[in-house]
Order: sequence, then structure tokens, then C-alpha cells
Amino acid sequence: MTTPPNVPIEPRKGDVHTYDIPSTILDSAGDVHVGLQRDAVRPPSEDEILRVQDLTVEFPTEDGVVHAVRGVSYSLREREVLGIVGESGSGKSVSSMAVMGLLPKSARIKGQILFRGDDMLKMSPRKQRSLRGRKIAMIFQDPMTALNPVHTVGDQLAEAVLAHELMPRKTALARAKEMLDLVGIPQAEARLRSYPHEFSGGMRQRAMIAMAVINNPDVIIADEPTTALDVTVQAQILEKLLEVKDAVNAAIVLITHDLGVIAGMAHRVLVMYAGRPVEIGETDPVFEEPRMPYTAGLLGSIPSLENSGSRLRPIKGTPPSLINLPTGCPFSPRCPLADEVCRTAEPELAETDGGGHFAACHHWDRLAAVEDPTVFFRTESETKA
Amino acid sequence: MTLSADTQAPDGAVEQGMTIVARTQAQMVRRRFFRHRAALAGMIVFGLVLVLAFSSIGFAGIPGWWDQSYITTGALVNQGKPTLSLSPFSIGDHPFGQDDIGVDYFAKTMRGVQQSIIVAFLVGIVATLVGAIVGAVAGYYRGRVEAVLMRVTDVMITIPVLVIAAVLGRRFGDAGVVPLGIVLGLTIWPTMARLLRGEFLSLREKEFVEAARAVGTPARRIIFRHILPNTIGVIVVSATLATANAVLLESALSFLGLGVQAPDTSLGQLINEYRTAFSTRPWLFWWPGIFIIAIALSINFIGDGLRDAFDPRQTRVRA
Amino acid sequence: MIVFIARRLVISFFVLLAATFIIYVLTAFAGDPLEDLRQDNSPQKLTKIAERSERMQLDVPVVLRYLGWLGRIVRGDLGVNRDGQALAPILSDALSATLQLVLAATVLAITVGIVIGIISALRQYSGFDYTVTFAAFICFSLPLFWVAVMLKQYVAIEFNNWLKDPVIPPVVIGALALLGGLIFGALTVGDRRRRLVAFAVGLVVSGALFTILSVTRWFADPGLGTPLILAFGLATAVGFTALAAGLQYRGPLYAALAAAVIGAICSQVLGPVLADPTWLEIGGLLLLTIAVCLGLGYALGGLQRRQAMTAATLTGVFTGAMVFLDRMLQAFAGFSASVRHRPVSTIGARTPNYQGDFWQTGLDSAGHLLLPTLALILISLATYTRFSRASMLEVMNQDYVRTARAKGLPERTVVLKHAFRNGLIPVTTMMAFDLAGVIGGAVVTENVFGWRGMGFMFTKGLQEVDPGPVMAFFIVTGTAVVVFNMIADILYAYLDPRIRLS
Ligand SMILES: Nc1ncnc2c1ncn2[C@@H]1O[C@H](COP(=O)(O)OP(=O)(O)O)[C@@H](O)[C@H]1O
Ligand code: SF4
Ligand SMILES: [Mg+2]
Repeated sequence: MTTPPNVPIEPRKGDVHTYDIPSTILDSAGDVHVGLQRDAVRPPSEDEILRVQDLTVEFPTEDGVVHAVRGVSYSLREREVLGIVGESGSGKSVSSMAVMGLLPKSARIKGQILFRGDDMLKMSPRKQRSLRGRKIAMIFQDPMTALNPVHTVGDQLAEAVLAHELMPRKTALARAKEMLDLVGIPQAEARLRSYPHEFSGGMRQRAMIAMAVINNPDVIIADEPTTALDVTVQAQILEKLLEVKDAVNAAIVLITHDLGVIAGMAHRVLVMYAGRPVEIGETDPVFEEPRMPYTAGLLGSIPSLENSGSRLRPIKGTPPSLINLPTGCPFSPRCPLADEVCRTAEPELAETDGGGHFAACHHWDRLAAVEDPTVFFRTESETKA
Repeated sequence: MTLSADTQAPDGAVEQGMTIVARTQAQMVRRRFFRHRAALAGMIVFGLVLVLAFSSIGFAGIPGWWDQSYITTGALVNQGKPTLSLSPFSIGDHPFGQDDIGVDYFAKTMRGVQQSIIVAFLVGIVATLVGAIVGAVAGYYRGRVEAVLMRVTDVMITIPVLVIAAVLGRRFGDAGVVPLGIVLGLTIWPTMARLLRGEFLSLREKEFVEAARAVGTPARRIIFRHILPNTIGVIVVSATLATANAVLLESALSFLGLGVQAPDTSLGQLINEYRTAFSTRPWLFWWPGIFIIAIALSINFIGDGLRDAFDPRQTRVRA
Repeated sequence: MIVFIARRLVISFFVLLAATFIIYVLTAFAGDPLEDLRQDNSPQKLTKIAERSERMQLDVPVVLRYLGWLGRIVRGDLGVNRDGQALAPILSDALSATLQLVLAATVLAITVGIVIGIISALRQYSGFDYTVTFAAFICFSLPLFWVAVMLKQYVAIEFNNWLKDPVIPPVVIGALALLGGLIFGALTVGDRRRRLVAFAVGLVVSGALFTILSVTRWFADPGLGTPLILAFGLATAVGFTALAAGLQYRGPLYAALAAAVIGAICSQVLGPVLADPTWLEIGGLLLLTIAVCLGLGYALGGLQRRQAMTAATLTGVFTGAMVFLDRMLQAFAGFSASVRHRPVSTIGARTPNYQGDFWQTGLDSAGHLLLPTLALILISLATYTRFSRASMLEVMNQDYVRTARAKGLPERTVVLKHAFRNGLIPVTTMMAFDLAGVIGGAVVTENVFGWRGMGFMFTKGLQEVDPGPVMAFFIVTGTAVVVFNMIADILYAYLDPRIRLS
């Protein structure tokens, strides 16, 4: 059920590379590429484009009701990159599928999803569909299965255009070609007639990116866009994603369990645990001064120069069952700071140091009191050493 | 241990839902099977039919509680009409009626049920054994062995099962139900072999098999100890479905006069024997038909329940 | 592709060769071909035995006999049966009846089964789905011969009797109306209220329909008439447009409506041509219809040209079929009178020496095909239904279907373009298996319905331990299975580009 937080690659020689802003982005030459890529893109504006408010999603199943998402709220500004991190099963995909309106019929959805002020959950199916793929687009985790094997890539791109606008097929195909050019697929013209199985994984994900941006969307939701890819192409894909986002002026919700990617790319970050947001804020403050032990634990599980050579420290234990949640803080069974209070009352998401930094922890001030919060997750021997 | 992260979940949390439901595979299978209502009903019906057929007229020399025989003729009572009545409930002398020469039709039908079930089970067992071994060997060794098997399967597909079964039935039908069941089993194993080969092809690549190979476990042991147990679901399910099909196959052959031969009897043979009497004595036609359907349907439902139980996500349909 | 087909052909040839050997040898050993003569008490007994032994070469080893048979078959000579009759004419007589039966059953089972399976999958856990699943299990468990005898007894005889005075009793109307309501209700998704409304609508509509049919004695002299053809045509035009293009754009809708209208007009205008046509003329009309409809779609479709052409063609062909059906129905009263009011036949593949025009002979073979096909189709129908349902359910959960939805495609496109085509791929592998099953079933069905078809040839040959007719039967059916297998393979390759290239 659980996978430890993704720990993609070993850091390379020489770079100044500390745990607080770990970056695992490689440039195409394969060297570690440190630097905040988000600074390279156009800054977000102040206009809010998407707001998710108190979103809850439940799935009734044979074994009980799965509380997959429990009160997620966030907002997204134009051109902003919002990162969402969390262990698998924490509700990242379900919450973004809710935004896309792609959850199965059995799902019980509550809350609001406001796109430019309009609640998508209250729209007619037809209106919802007209936003889907046109204003809000999605890139999925596994490009090997996300494209239909029996239709050509060009056809699948063109139909994304034709779904929203009546035009001759030729025009739509021409647009598809432009997009393949944009995402860096060589010989785009010929590639339109290829089938997905003739593409490599990286190329398929590029095609998926092309498909996502072909209608100039305002929001792109990228759900672990590189997890299924070869490490060597992950960085290229992410770079391409940022580049393309700038070209169409879209905001991105970037879901990943690679903290390095978030550190490098996201303006703000949302940490999820057991279906809840447990910490949210500007990326740097959250990563430098985490105010929720879970975030600190995630950061501690990342290899960095400081602890390279020592063992990695994935957070021990498993996330709770979403069917039968324990009372109190859902992290309490695994939290080194847990006490009686934690086990009785679930902490609310509350502002900590100001500046839009929120965390859901009774004892966030104890994290604030130490210099390196990951210290709570070290084993005794390590602490001595 | 001041600052170390203690991984042991506090006791309270365990009670509050941290328990991970850990059941053994067998328990899960049993639980899911018994939740499948149709399968349960199938079990009960099939059990009843089995008990009724073998206890009533007895079997292999052991006498049963029913006093009439399926061979001796008697005087026709009420033109041989069934004496079974539901309200008020009474069985009467000949609940299923009598045939044209006065043989008790209940006894005859029960004999037919016995024979048909024996053939069906033999077919199921033989087909499963042969199919499983051939499929396992082909899937495990691949290469030439596999190629030969696949060609054999192709040949078998080209010949409709009923055709080859009829040809064999013509030869072995009057030799009794045991030879008939065995030869019919030999006609339908390729389906099982194909299924199992597929399972083996994917399982042989799994780590635990690699590991076994790496430490030099002999192939036979890998096949029988490591892989075969993992395919038990597929084997059990398709064995069940093969048995259900065998009931229908045997009765069709006997109906064509190419299966069980008179004076011995089976459900299909009964229908064939009395088909011309339909307009005068329809019950001679109804009873065996109802029992064929009851047996085939209940076994099919059991098979469906087993499939759900072994692999709830498995969507494979019988081929 | 050509290499692919050629390779398959070569393999198939050897597979078939091996199969003929097996069948030949097993048949030769299936019993004693002289059994009946040994019990013969006539003085010529010994001569007869000698004569048959000579003809069947009983003194030659089986393998050599097989080779001899093979040598003759290569030269196109089917040989003689044990009584010395040439098999070729017998086969050609038997062939067309059986092929009609097998093809009708297979084609119907595939189309109806796939449609039901898909609807069942799209309406998973609905009343319809449960009913279909249960019905499929019943079908899997029914002994074919038993069903056939029942159909013969109850449907044919009772139905024919009823047709003499076709008044539907009120109870039956009530039951049919209830059934209509249930079907409507089961097919509707949504809350209880919506389903109840659908149930009521279905109840009233089918109740009214059957009352009208009963009061007007429609079944005594059935027919549709141009107004009904037009009404059905227009309705299907809307339906097919909704499926092929959606209703928000005008072009495809206009094209389809035009196709329906032209079709209805043709039902009037084509009177002389349709009085007593030949199959060739019907085929020509079909091609003409398709051409006209494609033209309509092209001209009126606008930016939705492709979809318009599809919608118009489907509508046109459907309307054409209605015209055809109308003609057939109109011939019914005359036909029924000519067969002493027993239109549904229970014996043989055609009425011996029947004389009639195109429509009447058509009705005659339809009357003979009806029950055998109905009996034969059950198992295949269940197989295709279950298989396509499972396949469709699996496909609907695939990532690429989610991607299609994420693009904002309408559900119709998601299902028809992305799910349906992928869902068909595994179904094609089913086809060869199933055809073999249908052929086996045909043997049984022919036996019940007294057809002197291939199945009869086979069972008789087998009873007499005579390899000649058995092999003639097997050459045809085996080839049919191989050919069908190949069609399935080609279809598979057409549907799945991943196969096409390798
Ligand atoms: N259709 C569904 N029915 C029941 N449970 C579901 C369904 N979809 C997702 N879940 C459950 O919701 C939880 C959150 O899943 P998800 O959002 O996919 O996690 P992740 O953060 O890894 O993307 C998981 O426990 C998953 O099992
Ligand atoms: S509330 Fe308590 S258990 Fe939860 S994260 Fe904070 S300290 Fe740990
Ligand atoms: Mg996910």
C-alpha cells in the first residue's frame, strides 16, 4: 500500500546542495542543475484563477466509505506553479480529478471548485465539459497508457481541438503539428501519423503536454508527470513543461512526490497527508522552516550533501486507513512529537509565521524552536554522531 | 531515545483503525465466495441434486431409499402421468410418471443424473489434468515445446468440439460412462492448456521464480511447487466451467445417439429416446431437461462465484 | 500485411491437413462399417459385404486410405459414400442450407451480442445489466437440443395456430406492456423518479402499440406503409446523428433527415422494381443507397462532413431495410395462405417444390430458418454478450479513456471512438472459437428440425462409419473455421496497429 517518499537520484559531486532546497533536476547533460527554475518563468499575477474550497471526496465501497479527500482548500493565481506533495494515497490525484470532473459516478463530492468565480460542481455537464481540456487541462502520470493505442497521435491531438471548436480537420492537424514542434518532437509532420507505440516514453509525455496545451488552457494539472519516466528524461520533460506553460500563459498544479522538483519549480507548495492539506505556503519558507512534522520528515528523507553517505530516513510506519480514520491528528501514530493532545483532537490548518504559511499541527512551535527540524526523525546513533 | 522516531504505533491508534485487515488468501476466497449469492444458491441446488440422485436409487450395488428400479417394467398407472403433486404435497407411486413400458421415470431420471454427473466430472478431471500439465510445461519451457503445443491447439480449434467428441463417442459410447468421460476429457483440454500457458508465461518472469531458478531448484519443482499453486484460481475456475460444459456436451452426444447408449441411460439419452413421444407424454421430455439445466446452471454459478472469489478484478470470460 | 496473411494461410493449411488426418482415422476406427450387413439375413449378404468392403477399401490400411482420399480431394473429387452415391451433389445440396443457418446465427449473435454487451457494460449494476447477466447464465446452461424441441413444440405450433386469428389476449398485452416498461426503466440511469417515469412511458407506449396491433389484426396482413417508414426513418436519422455527430450541429442532421425522406419516397417510386426483384438487384439498390447517402453527407455536412456521411449512410441503409421489410411483410398474407397458414415451419430447410416470387420464397426460407436460428443463437449470443461486456468494462477503466474525457470530448465520442474500438479487439479472438461451437450446434439443430444439411450428412456418415461424408462435412466446416479464423486475425490487425506492424 505504501511507498516511501520518492527518492529519485543520488546527488552529484561538488554542488552546494543542502537539504533545505534540494534539487534533483538534471539538465540534459546529466549534471545536477541547481537553481530556481521558477525564477526563469514569468511571475504569477495577483488574479486568482482557480479556487478549491473545502473539497471532500468520499467513495462508498464494500468495505466502508473511503474518505479520500477531507477538506482541501487552495487557490491558484494566473501563471503560478503550485506544487502538491504527499505520500501515495494521500488524495493528490483524487482531488485533482475532482477539479477535472473525472471522478467515477460513485464518488461523493462536496465543497466548491471555483474557476474564475464559477462553481464547476454546480455547472451543467455540458458547461463543465466545455471547460475541460479547453480551460483546464491535465497531464497524467503514465504516458505509456494515457494515449489510445489504436489512433494516431495526430488524430488524438486534433480531436482535442475539434472537441471545442468547429473547424476543418486540416486546420486542427496543423495546430497539432505546431504543438508537437513546441514540445520539441522532431519531424512533427510525420509524427502526426505515428501511433503511440512508435513513440518512446519521453516522447509520449511530450505529446501529452502538447495535447494539454493545444487549446491554450489557463490551468494545467500535471499529476506526477515524470514518475513513470526514465530518470534521464525527467528533467527535460519538466523543463519543457515550464517552457510550454510560459508559451501559453497557464498556471500549473504540479503533483509529485519529488520534493526537489517542487523546490525548484513551484512558487507555493501544498503538503497533503491522509486526504488533508497539512501545510501550505510559499515554497522556500515551507522547505526551510517546515511547521508540520510530516513535512520535516519528508525533507529528512531526501539525500543531500550533508547526510550523503548516511542512511536515508524514510518516515517509518504507514499512513492510516482512509476508511476508519483514527481520532486526532492522522499523523500521530508516526509523529515523534505526538502526545495526548494530538491523539484526541485533529489540528486545524492555521497560520504559523505569517506570510501565508499555514500548517495543521498542535506543536508547530516546537519545530520552530530548533534549527533543523529534520532532527526529530534521526535515529539515536545518527543524533549522537 | 529522546528525539528518535519511535515507529511502533501507539496502542490506541491500532484500535482506532490502524489495523490492516490481514486475511489469508484462503479466508478471502471463502469470504468472497459466500458473499456471492448466486454461487451459494448453485452450491445448494447442486448438492441437493447430487444427494437425491445417489441416495434414491442407490449406487454401485448399494441400495437406496427409492423402492423402484430404473429397469424393471410395471403396470401403467394413470397412463404413466406423474403422480407428484405440490398441493396437497404428495409423491405418489411414480412422481415423475412412467415411460411407455411402465418403467418408473423417477428412477430412470435419477439414473440418468448419476451417469451424466459421472461423465461430466470425469471430463472435468481429465481435461484439467491434461490441460494443466500441457499448459504448464509449454508455458514454462517455451521454445519448441510451446510451438508444438500451440499447433496442436490450433488443430483442436479447427475441429469443432462436438465433431471430435461425436466421432469418439461413436466408438466409446457403448463402452460405459467411464471410457466415455475419459475420451471426452481428451477432446476439451486445449482450452485449459491455453489459459494455463498464459498464466505460466507471466508467472515465470516473477522474482520468486527467478530466485528459485537462481539457487538451482530443478524445473519440476519450480513448476509444481512455485508456479502451479499460484494458478490454482484459474485452474479451479476453468475446471468448474469445463464440467458445466461437459454436462451439456454429453447430453448433446447422447441425444444424437453418439454418447451413452440404451439400455444404459443418461439425461440426453432419455430426451432422445422419448423425443417422438413429446405430444403424448411431455413429462418424459421435461424431467431430464430440467435436471440438465439445474446441474449446468448451478455449476456455472459456482464457477462464477469461484472466479469472483479468486480474483475479483479478473474479467476473463469463458472461451 | 500481405506477408502476414500469407503466413497465416500456410500455417492454416497445415493445421487443417493435420485435422483431416485425425478425423479420418478416428472415423475409420469409430465402429464396424459392416454392422448392418452382418445382421442381414438375405441371401446376397456375402456379396453385399464383399461389395462394400471393396468400395470402402476395408482391406487397405487406414493411413493409405487416408492418403488415397487426400489424393482425390486435391483433384477436387469428394468420392462416394459407402452406398456408392457421389458425394459432391449431396454436399452441394446440404451446403447452402447449413451455411445459411450458421451464417445467420453467427452474424446475429455477433451484432446483437456486442450491442447488448456494451449497453450492459455502460449501464453496469443497472437492472438491465443484472437481467442480461442472469439471462446469459441461463443460455450457457440450456441444452440446445432441448430448447430446439421446445421451440418446435410451443412456438411453432402455437404461434401458427394463433396467426389464424391474431388477436392478442389482454393478459398478454398487459405482460408485454409491463415488459416494455421494465426495459425502458432498466435502461434509464438516474434516480428512482426518473426510472419510474421511464417505466411509465415504456408501459404506456408498448401497451398502446400492442393494443393497436391486436385491434387492427395487423399480424394477419402485416406491413408498414410509407408513413410509418418515413416516421421510423426520421427517428433513426435523429438517433444516428446523435450517435455519429451529436445534435448541436445542423449539417449532419440535415443530411441524415434527407436520407430518410429520400428512402421513404423510394418506397413509393420503386414499386415496379421491387415487385419481384433478384438478390442482385437488391444488392445494386443497396450500393446505390450508400452512394447517394455518402453524397448527401458530403454535400450537407459542412465542417462535420465525415460524421454527416456516417449518419446519412446509416440512416439510408436502415430506411432501405425498412422498405425491404415492408415489402416482405406485404407478401406475408399471400405466402401464409399458400402454406396452409403454417408460416413458421418445423421441418426441413425449405418447403419442397415451393413456387413463389422473390418475397414469398424469401418468407419461406425465413420461416424455416427462424426457429433453428433462434435455438442455435442462444449460446453464441450469451458468449458474445458476456465477452464484450467484460472487455468493455475493462476498456472503460483504461487511462486513455480518462484522457479522452479530460480533453472534454463528449461521452458519445469517448465510448464510440476510444472505448468501443479497443473493446472489440479481444472480441475478435472469440470469433473462431465461437464459429466452431456454432457448427457443432448446427449438427444438433439440424437433427431436431429434420434438415438434410451438412449436420445430417455428418451424423449419418458417422453412424455408418463411413469416412466419405464425414470428411466432406469436415472439409467444408474446417475450411470455414480456418477462413473465419483468418478474418478474425485480419480484423484484429486492422483494429490494433501494434499488431499490424510486427
Ligand atoms: N474510485 C475509488 N474508489 C475507492 N477508493 C478510491 C478510488 N479512487 C481513489 N481511491 C482511494 O483514495 C485514496 C487517495 O488516492 P489518490 O488520490 O490516488 O492518492 P495519491 O495521493 O497517491 O494520488 C487512496 O486511498 C485510494 O485508494
Ligand atoms: S499535531 Fe501532534 S501528531 Fe500531529 S503532526 Fe503535530 S505534533 Fe505530530
Ligand atoms: Mg496519484
